Amino acid sequence: MAAVTAPAAGTASAAAEGRRDRRSRRNRTRWIGVAFVAPAALYLLVFQLVPVLYGVALSLTEYSPLSRGAPRPVGLANYAALLDDPEFGQALLVTGRYVLMVLPLTVAIALGLALLANRPFRGVGAFRSALYVPHIVSLTVVSMVWLWMYSPDGLFNEWLTGLGLPEQRWLLQEDSALAAASAMRVWKALGSNMVLLLAGLQGIPRELYEAASMDGAGAWNRFRYVTLPGLRPMLTYVVAMDIVYLAQGFAEIYVLTQGGPLGSTTTVNYLIYTEAFQYNSFGSASAMAFVLFALIVSFSGLAVRGISGRKS
Amino acid sequence: MTTNHRHTPGRRAVLGGALGGALTGLSACAFTGDGSAASGGAGPSGPADHLVVWFPGTNQTEIDLVTGEIVPAFEERTGATVDVTYLDWGDMSTKLNAAFAAGTAPDVFGHGPAAVADFAVNDRLEDLGPYLELLEPADLEDMDAALPGGRVDGTQYLVPLSIQGSLIAYRAGDFREAGLDPDDPPRTWEDLLEVARRLTVRDGAGTITRSGLLLMSDAIGRQQSFAALLASAGGRQVDGTSPATAAFDSPAGATALDYLVTLFAGDPAVAADLGQNYSDLPPEQQPLVTGRASMTMSTAVRAQSMHDAHPELDLRVMQPLAFSGGEPGVLGGAGPGLMINKDSAAKELAWEFISHLLQPEVSGEYTRGIGAIPVRASSVDDPYVQGSPVMTAFVQAADAWVPNPNVPGWVQARDTLSGFLEQALNERLTPEEALAQAAPAVDEVLAKAARAGGA
Repeated sequence: MAAVTAPAAGTASAAAEGRRDRRSRRNRTRWIGVAFVAPAALYLLVFQLVPVLYGVALSLTEYSPLSRGAPRPVGLANYAALLDDPEFGQALLVTGRYVLMVLPLTVAIALGLALLANRPFRGVGAFRSALYVPHIVSLTVVSMVWLWMYSPDGLFNEWLTGLGLPEQRWLLQEDSALAAASAMRVWKALGSNMVLLLAGLQGIPRELYEAASMDGAGAWNRFRYVTLPGLRPMLTYVVAMDIVYLAQGFAEIYVLTQGGPLGSTTTVNYLIYTEAFQYNSFGSASAMAFVLFALIVSFSGLAVRGISGRKS
Repeated sequence: MTTNHRHTPGRRAVLGGALGGALTGLSACAFTGDGSAASGGAGPSGPADHLVVWFPGTNQTEIDLVTGEIVPAFEERTGATVDVTYLDWGDMSTKLNAAFAAGTAPDVFGHGPAAVADFAVNDRLEDLGPYLELLEPADLEDMDAALPGGRVDGTQYLVPLSIQGSLIAYRAGDFREAGLDPDDPPRTWEDLLEVARRLTVRDGAGTITRSGLLLMSDAIGRQQSFAALLASAGGRQVDGTSPATAAFDSPAGATALDYLVTLFAGDPAVAADLGQNYSDLPPEQQPLVTGRASMTMSTAVRAQSMHDAHPELDLRVMQPLAFSGGEPGVLGGAGPGLMINKDSAAKELAWEFISHLLQPEVSGEYTRGIGAIPVRASSVDDPYVQGSPVMTAFVQAADAWVPNPNVPGWVQARDTLSGFLEQALNERLTPEEALAQAAPAVDEVLAKAARAGGA
């Protein structure tokens, strides 16, 4: 028994020791992981999460930064007021229209350019770089340049008059101002979208194209049944990010139109800026921000599900 | 595994508790502060021989002048040190609001008169009345045209550094071309419209290629144009102070708005480019310089800069106009000025800095440097004024200046009014409808601001 028991006890003890070692290693590894993650997590917590939570709290109050008093709780009154606020409703419509005017065009053109840039030809590097340049220039600077090009004495009107056509009031007319701002934004967004889609294209195995060709697929069918499905993850990302950025359109509106004419380019973000920093109403501005946030999350989610084909 | 399960929730709970506590603490800090001088703040808590000053605007000439000459002279005279920051006008309110909320607002800061009432009603400004009493009576009289624009409810909170106003500038050559005498410009708005019709040029399709008369019609500009016309028609924008109420929905208001609409949509119209903000354009792009307009409403700074850059255009400035049978009036008065933060620890030094800028020679140097209308009436004899027909015209117009109201909530009220003016200019509403609908909307904004103690 003793001869049998002793090894068993030894084995049990060794096993227990092994478990302790593994646990200790796991614990060590875990704490090292925590140490690596902590700086970024702290940054997120302090500079992202806390302001967001503070914003939520502010949206339930009436608060002017000039006031010496603390924010005055008003419950959901700021949200309720938005339901009756025609300006906010109009701004939501303008924001939606802006996204719809820019998104399909910029994605379609960027895809076309990415297909072009994916082919080997002389100067392809310069071609790709040239297309990417608008992305690395500040949106404010780009907007200033386009403001001049759209001005009554600007480049576009010079071209029109050169062709014997009448001048246009690009940013001064209700029916053309948003389209003019959108055209600038399409141009600005092309570079980054093109590069992302190009990366997506280069991730599609060439064998799939060869197999499709051998099966008799033409150019359109190769695009329809190989390229598009292969691009789906990147396309999903591009569309989702574009929705997020475009729905928060501000700098270009601030520079080009200041929300006019007749409120036709007042996006929600521009309205939030006015409410918070011109009229000092941080409470209602915060409520607007969270309604916009909820809408962006919803529409981005819908777009992701729609394009990626994921079912709930 | 079991052990892990037991420990993990425990750690999570501890972590969660710690995070929750931290968040609660942060939120509590954020919600209990009164926004007064915080320890370690930039301006208010600094030593009494150090000043933090924020100037409005990023005009390079002004920056060079203040930083290179005015501030060093003050530092040498007082032994104090001054940190000056220049803020873009667009960022001014944003940065000041954030600084006041955080308790780091500067000792001295500048802004336009339109912003004063909201700071004052929130108890953020030092009453400058007792300090002004330290000045010589002759000095006060010399600045009499400018000082009222810095008062709210009779209390002086802002000391203007210049006078600001808009008059009609015109190209003498276009007058001669149209058979008009540039030495005898119109004296009433009605005559001005007739002259504008003769100066307007159209292409074959009837599109205006040169506006006869262009008044500001961008978001802020159209309210200023309306206010100038309203003042000429004998009307007022608001009545009372706490709360103020809209007074523009009146026969004078209708006359003023009808005139403004006629310029852009009359038969025939005399102005194109409705909504364009031309007043902020550099001299080379000004409609008077490019030839897109023969007469425009222009500030002194802009008219002077165009005159200096293009003497060959022979630009001239008309005196304030009246509607037939009325008195001339024009929007103007106190320009941007300086205020003292009520929480400043160096108020005496702050006032010394402001009074340094008000000294006749420094004030003259400052307004000359930035091309503005001098704040002192005695400057009319200054060679800077005498040597410039443009500046002389603006200084001579001082009696007709009518300032914007200094009431809480004015910025939002102005924007609200401007929205309705825009609808009238675009013929969505008649002038009467626009004013009738604007008045209650403006009343609501002003009443809310008075209740809340600010905008």
